[in-house]
Amino acid sequence: MKHVKSLVLAAFAVLLSVSYLLPATQASAASSSALSIAPKKNYVIEPGSSVQDKLTISNLDQTVPLNLTLRVIDFSFTGNGGTPKLFLDTNTPQTTWSLRSYLKVPQTVTIEPGKSKQVDLNVAIPKGHGAGSYYSAIVYSSGSGQGGNIGLNASGVTLVFVNIPGKVKEDLQFTHLGAYDRAAQGDLSGYHYFNAQAPDTIAYTLKNNGNVVEAPAGNITLRDIFGRTTTINELNPSDSLALIGQERTFMTCIKLKPEDVKLGGTTTKSTTCDTSGLWPGYYSVSADLFYGQNGNLTQEVTKVGGFWYLPWWFIAVSIVVLGIAGLYGYRTYNKLRNKFYGPRVAKTKSARRK
Amino acid sequence: MGRTRHLLLWAHTFFHSWRYICTEEFVALLLALFVFMMPVSATTRFETRGLFMQTTEPGATTSYTVTLKFMSPEQVGSVDMLFCNDPIPYMPCAIPTGLDVSHATLTSQSGETGFSIHSQTQNHIIISRTPTAPIYPSESSFTFSGIVNPTDTSQAFSIRMKSLTSTDGTGPLVDFGSVRGQVETGIMIQTQVPPMLVFCAAQQVDDNCTGTDETYYRDMGTLSPNDTLTAQSQMAVGTNASQGFVVTANGPPLAAGTSVINSPTLPTESMPGTNQFGINLVENTVPAVGGNPEGTWANAIPSADYGIANKYKFVSGDVVAYSPNVSLMRKFTVSYIVNSSKELRAGVYTTTVTLIASGRF
Repeated sequence: MKHVKSLVLAAFAVLLSVSYLLPATQASAASSSALSIAPKKNYVIEPGSSVQDKLTISNLDQTVPLNLTLRVIDFSFTGNGGTPKLFLDTNTPQTTWSLRSYLKVPQTVTIEPGKSKQVDLNVAIPKGHGAGSYYSAIVYSSGSGQGGNIGLNASGVTLVFVNIPGKVKEDLQFTHLGAYDRAAQGDLSGYHYFNAQAPDTIAYTLKNNGNVVEAPAGNITLRDIFGRTTTINELNPSDSLALIGQERTFMTCIKLKPEDVKLGGTTTKSTTCDTSGLWPGYYSVSADLFYGQNGNLTQEVTKVGGFWYLPWWFIAVSIVVLGIAGLYGYRTYNKLRNKFYGPRVAKTKSARRK
Repeated sequence: MGRTRHLLLWAHTFFHSWRYICTEEFVALLLALFVFMMPVSATTRFETRGLFMQTTEPGATTSYTVTLKFMSPEQVGSVDMLFCNDPIPYMPCAIPTGLDVSHATLTSQSGETGFSIHSQTQNHIIISRTPTAPIYPSESSFTFSGIVNPTDTSQAFSIRMKSLTSTDGTGPLVDFGSVRGQVETGIMIQTQVPPMLVFCAAQQVDDNCTGTDETYYRDMGTLSPNDTLTAQSQMAVGTNASQGFVVTANGPPLAAGTSVINSPTLPTESMPGTNQFGINLVENTVPAVGGNPEGTWANAIPSADYGIANKYKFVSGDVVAYSPNVSLMRKFTVSYIVNSSKELRAGVYTTTVTLIASGRF
């Protein structure tokens, strides 16, 4: 009897401990939302070939695991900048440049706290597939926040670009060129013909009517009213791309300032715009750009633009100088006139009436 | 004085008489002559220029086929090909890293033929022949084997080409033009720190995303036409990618069944007594909620519509924060406000906001 009693007591104790431990287990099942991923992947794949690559995903949270759901979606562009427009709706029809049928990634991934994991990425292009650029995005969704009024989800995205070599349709049209305010983020409203602040950025906008993403090479020359020139060779320091159908604004600095950026104990290169050192006045801007994929014709587009740099202090000084010059000019004119034709005689009221 | 008057009179008489000689017709004739005469001495660009690299692998030894169309009827005795990073002929020539054409051989030619290699260096080839006038239109191609590809995948390179009458690449220019090429790999080999995008979001996050409070939802309380309900969450984001990042806010409006609390599509002040759900990413005083971005990387900022204090908006898919270039870790506080009208149907109003961080292209 005593044995049975002790057994019952032991079972009750186990049940109690399990019921006590269960909520703790649920709590620890909470997912991390701190991830590190590759923002972009580029591949060149011949039709009939495939690429096996690895995606490195890190869980930066030191205490809880990272549970991710992966899916491939299409994307396009937002405006004239480099912001992807993600087609998150699962019912969205595939774009003509979609990789969804060819790009395979695992559906779920769990990464231990503070660890990294490499997951397979496979892109297989079928035989006879047309040449051009194809792109889609991989979305990594962390655990969903369900409950309360507002739930929160954190997701990351890797943009995947595949270039299929061959004869492609390339057509870039120049639309804008000039001094630019970076805050406009590619929008055409960022172009300014009159600038009170010394511009540090030159931008150019190209419309991509082809079936391949483009990044032009070439240079831009600034010429002041005295004929002095400044040449910009780094036309695309951010390695930006004009997507298919996009009117893309590319920005570059009049003077580039390279910087070393430290990340996780290692160093990476970055560039920012240095003070341009422009003098007030008018500047003509001419751009000579080249583009063309391997095996296709190299094409050239050119455009000439211009802008004024007129700081307020310069306008004020100019007004004063012009005023003084006008005053002296008027006095000189009066002196010469008096010498040639004699002093001006004031007309009387009666003479004016006549 | 009399002398000055005399000079003025002379100038007037002189120019007045010329007015009848330099008629508009005469000026037009001069201009027309300029138009027709100038191109005779001007150089022309090669048309239909192209480059085909047999392989684009960095550092590989391969063959290049250059195609071009000679445009001028003048005799061509040589074609000069200079390999540079910059395609513009008058710019200084920086040799593409790793490129070597010093052992290239001319293996085939079509169109205008009869050329052989006259001279070559690491980035320069001159081919020559007995000067002959090209047959127009003369689309020609030249294939060179044994060229070592550049190794820098980050930038394009160019071949600056010019045709000349002489057989040694000197003297007057006939046509000119550049072709563009770029090396790229099937799988990009990282020679430096690979680009990374770091992102975390929760009610509270550490600066470097090393931890969060693991809270992903918030109960905001009971809706009332007199009060504004508030909540806030945090996110930290950074990237070493040169294109920067964007964070978009996605999700449906706050709803209970079919009853929806809509969001302003423009930045709008909090208006208790109306149905309103909005967010922003700065510190607010009306109502007191949120905080300004924290961190040293000032180039990561809230987007314009979500960066105005005391003004709120929510449009699914909008960019709420971005950086145009490298930005290592900045923390943003997202403020949420909910207002309700008297007529709002009773219920539990919920939504899920998905913050998506992505690289830019």
